[in-house]
Amino acid sequence: MAETLLVEPDSAFINDVMASGGADLKKCFQCATCTSVCDLSEDGLTFPRRVMIAAQWGLKDKALADPGIWLCHNCGDCTVNCPRGAKPSNIMGVLRKEAIKAFSFPKIAGTMVSEAKYLAVLFLLPILIFGTIAAIELRHPLVRPYIYAEVFPASILEPLFYAVSALAVLGFAVGVTRFVRAMRAAGVEGRILPALAPTLVEIITHRRFMKCTANKDRYLGHLLTLCGFVGLAITGTSVGIGTMLDLMHTPLPFLSGWKLFANLSAGVVLVGTVLLIGDRMKSPEKWNDTTYFDGFFIVVLAGVVATGILSELLRVAQSAGLMYSVYFIHLVLIFSLFLYAPYSKFAHFVYRTVAMAAARDAQLKAGAVTTQSVNA
Amino acid sequence: MADARSSNGKSILVIGGGVAGLTTAIEAAEAGCQVILVEKSPFLGGRAVSFSLYFPKLCPPTCGFEINFRRIKNNPRITVLTQAELTSLTGAAGDYEATVKVAPRFVSEACTLCGDCAKACPVERPDDFNFGESKTKAAYLPHNMTYPAAYVIDRSVCPAGCKACVEACPYGAIDLNQGAQQKTFHVAAVVVATGWAPYDASKISNLGFGRFPNVVTNVMLERMAAVNGPTGGKILRPSDGKEPASIAFVQCAGSRDENHLPYCSSVCCSASLKHSTYIRSLYPDAQVTIFYIDVRTPGLLEDFRAKVATNGHLKLVKGKVGKIGEDPQTHDLWVTVEDVLAGRKTTQRFSLVVLATGMVPQTEGLPQGLPRDEFGFVTDGAPGFIGAGCVKRPEDVASSVRDATGAALKALQSAVRSAHHG
Repeated sequence: MAETLLVEPDSAFINDVMASGGADLKKCFQCATCTSVCDLSEDGLTFPRRVMIAAQWGLKDKALADPGIWLCHNCGDCTVNCPRGAKPSNIMGVLRKEAIKAFSFPKIAGTMVSEAKYLAVLFLLPILIFGTIAAIELRHPLVRPYIYAEVFPASILEPLFYAVSALAVLGFAVGVTRFVRAMRAAGVEGRILPALAPTLVEIITHRRFMKCTANKDRYLGHLLTLCGFVGLAITGTSVGIGTMLDLMHTPLPFLSGWKLFANLSAGVVLVGTVLLIGDRMKSPEKWNDTTYFDGFFIVVLAGVVATGILSELLRVAQSAGLMYSVYFIHLVLIFSLFLYAPYSKFAHFVYRTVAMAAARDAQLKAGAVTTQSVNA
Repeated sequence: MADARSSNGKSILVIGGGVAGLTTAIEAAEAGCQVILVEKSPFLGGRAVSFSLYFPKLCPPTCGFEINFRRIKNNPRITVLTQAELTSLTGAAGDYEATVKVAPRFVSEACTLCGDCAKACPVERPDDFNFGESKTKAAYLPHNMTYPAAYVIDRSVCPAGCKACVEACPYGAIDLNQGAQQKTFHVAAVVVATGWAPYDASKISNLGFGRFPNVVTNVMLERMAAVNGPTGGKILRPSDGKEPASIAFVQCAGSRDENHLPYCSSVCCSASLKHSTYIRSLYPDAQVTIFYIDVRTPGLLEDFRAKVATNGHLKLVKGKVGKIGEDPQTHDLWVTVEDVLAGRKTTQRFSLVVLATGMVPQTEGLPQGLPRDEFGFVTDGAPGFIGAGCVKRPEDVASSVRDATGAALKALQSAVRSAHHG
């Protein structure tokens, strides 16, 4: 006899998924076309069908703990081939958003970042902080050459951003711990640390993105965004530590290696994010209720880089009014990008890495078979 | 010209000479009604006459059709027009005027099926009865159960000025100058029994039909299994003519799919089970796997499923096939599927893949304004129009016969009503 499974549907979760971009969830009749056509879904950890039924039945813990939702790269092949129009790739996107929200710490942050109605509040906080700093510093007249430290001194920005980063790291640490616990409770046994290095190689080379068919246009945009972002993270961190240890002094000369590398990285991110946003814009039929969630991250990221490049140019032009205003926006956006990272789409980088590592290890251990020969 | 008896309002017109149309025509005529039976192809019997066996009894179509053809032959009330199409219909329920265009067959009733014309004929044409898997001469007999029993000349492929068949015919049965005829009838009711066509499998791009030679459709397999088919009753791989060692059936190939046919075609599950019995009797060691969403064998067909499923070489796997690839060397096929019940995703090698394609209602050339449902199937509702068989809903032969008997009664009622009031 088959074991008995008592299903206790979380109807609020079902309604949540259906209301936030997964309206067609119930159309799925479990034919498994989606799993068959998906080039990313492999034996041992198949998706999306398994996740679809968990979501349909309101098995929230099971659905959100499933690494499959992160192994999915939103290629859209499942949605193109779905015989029922259930749009599995949209559902996977909604579940990723739901997972980030469900594992968030503090919970209120997860709710505020995922819902459009709190957008003004999210930006109000950094606006007040940087507005106050500027108001205090602008009591003295500005002198040429204008430098940003005049209005936004490093002595204030440094501890502020360390604090913001610490909060983001804490948010991520608690979130990931919750996610890993949930995976373990759901029976996913793959270890994460041993598989981390090959997983990061897989991520940076975009091997999984290359397998996408229906939505392959995102490959280049995402690759540029990720690579450029890694470049910026390396320079940002190095220069931050360098200035703190008094080894470097900003603004760095234009021809210094760091400066060139940072500008190149920024350019790469800008091109990448513009491509990604353009890809979304050109097919409005793909828009759904996760567009806000995804859009918040990509627009803030694009904004950070665009205002960063603009600030640099305006500093060279020495147009005081404009350069401080743009830099103000730049700071507000950076602050938002980092503080809200564990609760925005940004978090997909961390959750996806963890899930991919766990899946890789689990599949290696299980010796998953994807090809069987029948005596042909 | 209108028949004297058919202008008294008691005639009915039946469009389509397949199982449903034949049944309607015979039942109505045997109840005393005048019937004009119009068939587009040169023979009666429709799709069903091309089958190897019927499920669930696994009997050949020969016996049923033999009896029906005899009933037609013996019944003076039925006018059979093959290669004929309705070109216009005017009037109203109870009193329609139907114009039918009859294309020339070029061979008269004097034909004895000796075949000398085909032997003499210098050109070939693809045999659409076998889905182009074989060829016939331009002078051909569609199949060995052809009724009316006479050869046909496909003039579209005749070389200019060729008279080889005319000269070869010992009975003077061939007249290449025969022209099309126009006939007019007054009828009380029209029974639409135009049947179905298999869904065009090349539209299901992910399943490889048309790209991979060893991906065939269920109707093609049916012809291969038929003794009068292109392979003489053997199921062989189109790429190399070899016997397949492993065969996959892909259920719902197009059906229950809003990208193709949103409805269930209802017969494909039973048909694939039936096909597995063909393979079992031909190649007892061949491995057969049927990939399905749900095995839909309603009513008594459930017993058929249970009986067939006892075959140890038959596997039923729940999971729809979404992807088929090909090994370019061997032309074997890679079938990727998630086995839903086992929770595994596998890619398995098969030597032949059969797509269980569904039924599309054939409504081309029917009068405008005939009520249809959202999928194109004919629905009842227009006075004087009665649907019968697969043009109304996807169904098997037995259901078509029952449906057609009901349609005959409705047509009779129309004819009787119009005779009383007309």
